Amino acid sequence: MTRRERVAYVQGVSAQAAPATPITATGTEARNLDGQAIAITVFSTIRPWGNVIAPIPGRIFLPILFVVTRRIPKLTVTLRQLSFIHFARWTVITRLPHNGAPQAKKRFRYPHMYFESNFNGGWEEYIDAFSHILTKGMTAFWGSSYGFPKPLPTAQFKQYINANETEAAHYYSAYPDATSSMVQRSLKLDDTLTPLKRNAEKMDPDEFAKAYRTFLTDVQDCL
Amino acid sequence: MPRAGLGNQTGQAYAFMAMTPVKPGEEAALEAYLHGLRGDGGPSPLAKLSRTHMARFVIVADFYNDKSWKQRKEEHLDLRYLIFTSNLDGDIETYLDELCEKLAPEAQEIWGRCVGCPANPKGQVLKHYLKHNQINTGIFFAAYQDATVPRVKHCLHQRERMIEFAVASQGLEPAALQQAFLHEFGGEA
Repeated sequence: MTRRERVAYVQGVSAQAAPATPITATGTEARNLDGQAIAITVFSTIRPWGNVIAPIPGRIFLPILFVVTRRIPKLTVTLRQLSFIHFARWTVITRLPHNGAPQAKKRFRYPHMYFESNFNGGWEEYIDAFSHILTKGMTAFWGSSYGFPKPLPTAQFKQYINANETEAAHYYSAYPDATSSMVQRSLKLDDTLTPLKRNAEKMDPDEFAKAYRTFLTDVQDCL
Repeated sequence: MPRAGLGNQTGQAYAFMAMTPVKPGEEAALEAYLHGLRGDGGPSPLAKLSRTHMARFVIVADFYNDKSWKQRKEEHLDLRYLIFTSNLDGDIETYLDELCEKLAPEAQEIWGRCVGCPANPKGQVLKHYLKHNQINTGIFFAAYQDATVPRVKHCLHQRERMIEFAVASQGLEPAALQQAFLHEFGGEA
């Protein structure tokens, strides 16, 4: 390994080593946390008519947005750039399944949007990143909801999310100490390490040492 | 019943959501039970479901109504509702089979406090109840949609081992480096 490669490698290790304890999850209630993982759960009420922010009523626009986004995965590229999200979902609810009395059997007056996210980091930073990076996306998703103040400036948007958020009663992560980027780096590392593991025994020592150095250079950003 | 092919799935990952009405008078007991699920810091019972990446229980008291938002008429939930969502691996049918068996001890305390839940909630009757109350997802985003829970755990552990190995093996001669590598990772591919 050249000096340059070693420096880059050690820097990578130092910067990305797994935290031993949950240290980055901040800004929300304790029951929304499991280690590094944070739960956010938000309901918003969708207006029946369009307005300046969202001219097409959400009842019509959101199902179309959902279908188009599912069919054109490129539209989620920006979402993928927010490397602190594990899983997120949006759902429009117009009625609930009926289970008998005393539950009322009725269709909602307004559609309601359910949003949840599983992410790591800080609640405030999460909303900031959403607002600044996914400005158009946030407007598309929440523009048809009552009270939506536009993503920017973020202070008002945070107030809006805060007002509509419900705390989890119980939250679980199967790998609570891992951030989303750690998971993605680990998976990428595995893809590169597997061929080296497969071929290591067949190589002579010099050949292996060369392959190993190339491997380390390739996976610097995964460690 | 939910229709197949909606937004519940991306890659091999599946987004399940069930929203069930809580029986009047049972709200506080349900909330207390869910809050205490970890006991004294022990594992969540959801850890028994090995295909679960992340999951939550949420009790929704009502929709938020704000007069300044100019909503023509307020809308309220008739009862409190329990939401259970899970981000899981693979097929929902077999996942619910597993859930209804392994979470049977907790199910009575959780969904047993919900309207319409059958007595002795476990097995197929619980599965039917959860599917009846399933809400389809519009868009489901999964950052690593093709990675299962076991693979994620394996890769996280392997990454830690790789970091330790890379640091410990610095300066080794080629033959020693290869031997050390084979000792650590040989036979795994």
